[in-house]
Amino acid sequence: MVSVNAKAAGDPILEIDKVNLTLGGHEILRDVSAQIGNGEFVCVVGPSGCGKTTMLRLLAGLYQPSAGAVTYRGQRMLHPRQDIAIVFQDYGKALLPWRTAHGNVALAFEAMGAPRNGRDEKIEQLLVKVGLGGQGKKYPNQLSGGMQQRLQIARCLAQSPAVLLMDEPFGALDAMTRQGLQDEVLSIVRETGATAFFVTHDLEEAIYLGDRVIGMLPHPGRVAITVDVNLPHPRNQLTTREDPEFLSLRRQLFDFIKDAES
Amino acid sequence: MNALMRIDPRGMILPVGLIIVAEAAARLTNLQSDALAPPSDILLSGIKALADGSMLYATWQTLANAFAGLAIGFSLGMALGILMGLFRPLNRLLEVTVEVLRPIPSVALLPVALLVYGFGHRMEFSIVAFATLWPALILTRSAIAGIEPRLLEVSRALQLSLGARIFKIVIPAALPRIFVALRLAVGISLIVAVTVEVTTNPMGLGYKMMEASQGLQPGLALAYLVWVGMLGWAVNGIMVLAQKHLFGAAANVEARL
Amino acid sequence: MKVERLLWLGASVLVFAGFIYFWQLISDYRWVSPVFLPGPDRAWQALVRGITTGDLLVRWTATIERMIYGWLLASLAGICLGALIGSSERARAYIGPTLELMRPLPASAVVPLAIALLGLSETMVLAVIAFGGLWPMLLATVHGFSAVEPRLYEVSRALGLSRTAVIFKIALPSSMPDILAGMRLSLTVALILAVIGEMLASRDGLGSHIMLAARAFRSPDLFAGVILLGVTGLVSAMLLSWFESWMLRWRESR
Repeated sequence: MVSVNAKAAGDPILEIDKVNLTLGGHEILRDVSAQIGNGEFVCVVGPSGCGKTTMLRLLAGLYQPSAGAVTYRGQRMLHPRQDIAIVFQDYGKALLPWRTAHGNVALAFEAMGAPRNGRDEKIEQLLVKVGLGGQGKKYPNQLSGGMQQRLQIARCLAQSPAVLLMDEPFGALDAMTRQGLQDEVLSIVRETGATAFFVTHDLEEAIYLGDRVIGMLPHPGRVAITVDVNLPHPRNQLTTREDPEFLSLRRQLFDFIKDAES
Repeated sequence: MNALMRIDPRGMILPVGLIIVAEAAARLTNLQSDALAPPSDILLSGIKALADGSMLYATWQTLANAFAGLAIGFSLGMALGILMGLFRPLNRLLEVTVEVLRPIPSVALLPVALLVYGFGHRMEFSIVAFATLWPALILTRSAIAGIEPRLLEVSRALQLSLGARIFKIVIPAALPRIFVALRLAVGISLIVAVTVEVTTNPMGLGYKMMEASQGLQPGLALAYLVWVGMLGWAVNGIMVLAQKHLFGAAANVEARL
Repeated sequence: MKVERLLWLGASVLVFAGFIYFWQLISDYRWVSPVFLPGPDRAWQALVRGITTGDLLVRWTATIERMIYGWLLASLAGICLGALIGSSERARAYIGPTLELMRPLPASAVVPLAIALLGLSETMVLAVIAFGGLWPMLLATVHGFSAVEPRLYEVSRALGLSRTAVIFKIALPSSMPDILAGMRLSLTVALILAVIGEMLASRDGLGSHIMLAARAFRSPDLFAGVILLGVTGLVSAMLLSWFESWMLRWRESR
């Protein structure tokens, strides 16, 4: 069994301990363990059906494990928490189409029962931060896919989350939009000091973003490999991707998945 | 719609329970009412009315009126709908007329029909015809508008005559959605026929119901009420089955007015 | 583009005017006996007379009031009940089939029962309108609530929304398109049942007005009433559809 340990010093903020998950008679995850350090950026890759999204939903408290435990700061995750935010892949379904961009971000403040005064300014600041300044009055279906995903990120930031869980957030976007958003997510995460857990099927995206990459394999879903990424910050779409370290990591993960599939 | 075919035992608890409670309550309180009757009484009255043929005769009258009106109203509406769907200028020219006439509640024409025809079949089916004409027109028009434009281009490229275009391309392509309109119109025709009978026309199920109620036979009146409900349910069920049988998956379109 | 649209609309109005003129010709040349069909001129005179003397106006407002009260009652009850049934999978399984059984029952068929229970009273008319208008509302709301995007429930869990917040901020607005469609249908039904109720219970209103006019062979009065009913249907449908497009303005894409 491969055990994945937090690179960062001190207690892990999130911990998955020997988790099994069976849903509707199907074994989705078997004996999965992982630790995520405070402030760490962890990416999960793997072929479809490997349970990477399921792992995210366990961390979110949307699923409960059949066996084992998921803990947040040492406490069992029994339900979703306001300081753990989730960015869903299908932004079109996760936004309220009848609310403006401003109203969608406001929903998070309403849920927290935050005071009304000063809220509008905070919302505008968040919209500016994700690059939606001045777009507050638009409805989601008046925004492009990339902008809708930015809006979802803004709503998550409104929760001032300690942990940001992202489920293939850029999977449905075109390459240019995707790269722009990768850099913005990186800078936002570094700026807020949040811990990030990022699910993707794109190896390069995982290496580019992560401090650590976890590789998973399917049938049943399990953790198979974990690699530390020691690329310098801030990362750059051109130089980082040409870095020999980047290329060798990509090769390592690529070969691993190739081998596992054959 | 599928709920019609699938039988979930949980769904039967409420109606069966209500019937039992109604029966028990009626017996315990020794119900003496001009309006309500215990379910057993309703059942007996219904069986008696079925056995002596009076209920079946009334059913025949109502259905005859409903379907005669439907045949006139729907075919007229469908013909207009096809023409307006095919020829945009016609559609635009008739827009105001259609939008002004359509919202006239069908029952508002009841006194008009009464004045012109007096009591009888003709006043009833003319109102049913008016009521079914509009959904037929509107839904056929939108069914035509929903035809794949490529198909119409094909028919033009083949230089089909207008008649051939309508009968070989347009109607077959729009048929699934026109059938949905028909299903809706069948329901409307039955509702309107019963309504006309309840309010004015002394024939059919609606009148029988009114007669029984005013003759202080609540059991019989309620039996007619249940029968009308069953009839509506059966007619709709037949239409759903026919739709599935005729069009299969293509029938998965809903009518919206 | 706008100009073209206006031109077509103008042409369409002209066509409608042409039909009215044709109607005038029918009565002028006595193609149909004026006992049955008065010309538009005489119907218009009756309408103006009825409104200026106030008789028709009083009846018209009475009908509109009944329609609106019954409709509001039906809408309120329909939305509340529909929300209760629609938001619970279990409630749907138990109650849904019963609703399906009741659905094809014509609302007018309960009129005899309502008369027997409540007499020829104002309450009876309102009860019938509310009962008839309830079904479209109820079914539409149940459908709306059961069709809420499941992802939005996850979003509300992740955000930590309370139960009431989920109903009022997620489920209700998400069901709004269905609810508004139900309200539109329900309003049509309400007008029809208001007219029927007035005819049967002889309550003062347009329904009894046109019925009495027909019995007395006063066809201009009859047609004046029919015109007012058409106007009521048209205006109420238009108002509601404006309200609908305002409520659903978020649907318009860029």
